[in-house]
Amino acid sequence: MNLDYTAEDEIFRAEAREWLDANIPREVRPPDGPGMREFDLGWQRKQFEGGWAGVSWPVEYGGRGLSLTHQLIWYEEYAKAGGPNAELLFVGCNHAAPTIMARGTDEQKSYHLPKILSGEVAWCQGFSEPNNGSDLGGLKCRAEIVGDELVVNGSKIWTSSAHLADWQELLVRTDPAAPKHKGISWVICDMQTPGIELRPILIMTAPGHHHFNQVFYTDVRIPLSNVVGEVNDGWNVAMSTLGFERGTAGMLENIRYGAVVERLVDMARQRLGASALENDDIGQRLAQLRAEVTAVRAMTYRIASRAAIAPPGSEVSLARAFFSQLQQRIRRIALDIIGPDSIELPEDDPWIRPYLRTYSNTIAAGTSEIQRNIIGERVLGLPR
Amino acid sequence: MNLLPTEEQQQIVDMVRGFLAASAPLERLRPDKFGQIGNPDAALWPKMAELGILGLGVPEEGGGLGLSAVEEALTYIEFGRALVSVGVLGATLGAHLAARTMPDIAAAIMAGTSAVGLATPRGTVAGDDGIFSGEFHLIEANEADFIVLLTSDAIALFRRDEFMGQSERLSMDSHMRLMRAALESGKPLSWSSVKDGIDHARANLLIAAYATGVAEAALAGAVDYAKVREQFGKPIGSFQAIKHKCADMAIAAEVASCQVSFASVILSKNSDESRFHALASRIVAVDAALKNGATGIQVHGAIGFTAEVEAHLFVKRAHLIDFIGGDQRVQKGQFIGADAVI
Repeated sequence: MNLDYTAEDEIFRAEAREWLDANIPREVRPPDGPGMREFDLGWQRKQFEGGWAGVSWPVEYGGRGLSLTHQLIWYEEYAKAGGPNAELLFVGCNHAAPTIMARGTDEQKSYHLPKILSGEVAWCQGFSEPNNGSDLGGLKCRAEIVGDELVVNGSKIWTSSAHLADWQELLVRTDPAAPKHKGISWVICDMQTPGIELRPILIMTAPGHHHFNQVFYTDVRIPLSNVVGEVNDGWNVAMSTLGFERGTAGMLENIRYGAVVERLVDMARQRLGASALENDDIGQRLAQLRAEVTAVRAMTYRIASRAAIAPPGSEVSLARAFFSQLQQRIRRIALDIIGPDSIELPEDDPWIRPYLRTYSNTIAAGTSEIQRNIIGERVLGLPR
Repeated sequence: MNLLPTEEQQQIVDMVRGFLAASAPLERLRPDKFGQIGNPDAALWPKMAELGILGLGVPEEGGGLGLSAVEEALTYIEFGRALVSVGVLGATLGAHLAARTMPDIAAAIMAGTSAVGLATPRGTVAGDDGIFSGEFHLIEANEADFIVLLTSDAIALFRRDEFMGQSERLSMDSHMRLMRAALESGKPLSWSSVKDGIDHARANLLIAAYATGVAEAALAGAVDYAKVREQFGKPIGSFQAIKHKCADMAIAAEVASCQVSFASVILSKNSDESRFHALASRIVAVDAALKNGATGIQVHGAIGFTAEVEAHLFVKRAHLIDFIGGDQRVQKGQFIGADAVI
C-alpha cells in the first residue's frame, strides 16, 4: 500500500490546479431551465478545450488516456477549487459514454462520444417506469422491431432533465416472451423524435422544482442501428453502467463532502465554542461524521486501486450505500447546529436545499434497500 | 497510489492468519464453565516472538523486523479476527517505546520473555512532564514485568511495580485478567505525548485495526449462520430482514478496513496527519466492532445469546477495546478538537 504520487502525477496536479484557478466559473450556476443547460454545457466545452474533460477517457475518443489516479487527482483539485456540480452532464459523461465505449458500434462511438465530451449535447436516462422502479428488470415499455426500426410505446419516469436533454439512454422491452432480464434492449433515443411527450414532475426543493419528468412514447420510431450491444442483451449492457455509476462516478461527490463537514465544524465552533463542543452531543455527532467522511475518501482510494486491476463490481455498493446515508446525516446536522432559527430558512437556503436534496440520494441509482440486496447476494453470497 | 496490500504484505497476512488458525482457533474461547477463565493466549507470545510478530514494526536497529505501520495494522486485523488477547498490544507498543533507549528491555519484550500489560484510566489523569498520577485498570498485567499506559494524550512505559494497590477484578470479558491500581507521581521508563511523533497515533491505529478484525469476524460468523439456518423452509439469509442486517455489517467492516489502511500508510510516512487519521480510524472501527458484535447476536437468534457460539465474544471484546485509552466519547472529543486535514 502507498499514497505516493509520482513526479509526473505531481506535475499533473499542479497543472490542474493552475488551470482550475484561472478558469473555474465565477458566476452562480442557474438552478434550472435553459440557463442551467447553457451553463453546464459551456463549462464542459471550456474543460474540453483546456484538455480536462476526459482525463481517463481513451485517447481514441478524445480523452487523455490517463489512469484513474489522474482522474482522482483532477476530482480532488476540482473539489478544492470549488468547481460547480454540473449535474446535467452526469448521465452523458458517466453513464452513456462509458456504455457506448464498452458496447457501442464504431459508428455510435464516433458520432456520440465527441459530442458528449465537448459539451455539445446533454443526455438523460430512461430506465425507471411508473410500475418498475426497484424491479427495473420487469420494465414494460415496449419496442417492436418493424423493418430496420424500433417502434416504442410506453412510459418512463423520474427522468432528470428530460426537458433539457438532446439524447436519452432508453431501456425497452424488445421480447415480451423471454424471461424478464433477457428481453430488454439498450437504445439511444433522440429526444426530438415525433411521438415523445413530457409531463413535468415537481420535486420537493426550490429552486429547480422542475427536475424530473414522466416521458410518454407513442409510436416513437428509432433506427435499429441505435441499439447498443445486442438486441435483447440490454440488461447486461445497463448493469455495466450502473456498476460505473455506483463506483468511480461518485468520486467527485465523495471528495467534495469532506469540505462540507469542515464548514459544519467551523460553524459549530463559532456557535457553540470550541471547548464546549468536545462534550456536547453535536460535537460528538460531528466527530463521528468527520471520521466517516474521512473514511469515505479512503474507500474512494480503495475503489480506484481495485479499478486499476478490474472493472468495478458489486462491492462498490458498500461505498455507495454508506455514502448516500452519510450525506443525509451530514446535511441533517446543519439544522441542529443552526438551532431553532433553522425553521425560518427557506427551501433555497444554502443549507436547506442541499439537505432536502439528500433525501433522493438513498433512492436514485438503486435504493438503499436494493444496494443491500446486492451486497447481501453478490458480495456476501447470501441466497436470494 | 494503491490502497491494496502488496504481494509481500499479503504473504504476511497469510502467514499470521495461518499461524492463528492453527494455534488460536476461536473455539479455544468457548468456555465449558462460566466464570473468569483468564488469558488463554500467554502461551502464544513465545511462538509469536519466534515468527518476529511482536517486533514487526520496530526498526531493525532496535532489534525488530523493521516493517511499517501498514504491516502492523494488517497483522492487528488478524489478531482482532482471532480475538487474540489484547496483551499483544502491550507487547507491540512496549517494544516500540523501549527500543530507542532501552534495547535490553525491548529485546526481552520482543522475545516474549517479558510480558507487557496495559493500563487505561478510570478517571482523570494528572500528568505533567512525564509524571503521572491517577486511578487505572490494568489489563493482562498479572505476570507482566512492564505496563503500557495509554491516555487520550500520552503513552508511557512503566515497570509494573510503579503501580500501587494492585487488586484483581472480574470482567464481562472473561478471557482476560483485570486489576485496579494507582499511580502517585509515577515515573515512566519512557513516554511520549500525542504531540511527539507517532507513538500515540500508533496505539489508536492498532486498536482500530484490532477492532476491524473483530467487526469482520462477527460479520463472517453471522453470514455463515444465515446461509445454513432455515426457517419457513428457507435459509434465513434469504429474508431481507436478515440480509440487510448482514449488508450493514459488511458496510461497517469495509468503512473501518479502508480507513485503517489509509491511516496506516499515513503513519508509515511519519506524517503530521497521523494523529487525525488514526483517530478517524479508531472512531469508525470501534463503532463497527460494537455494532457488528451486537447485530451478530441478533442474526443468530436465541443461539446467539448462548455460550455455544462465538457471537457474544465479539461484543465483550469490542467493549473492552473501546475503553482502552478512553472510550468513543473521549476519542470523539479529541477528534472534534483536532485541526482539519484536507
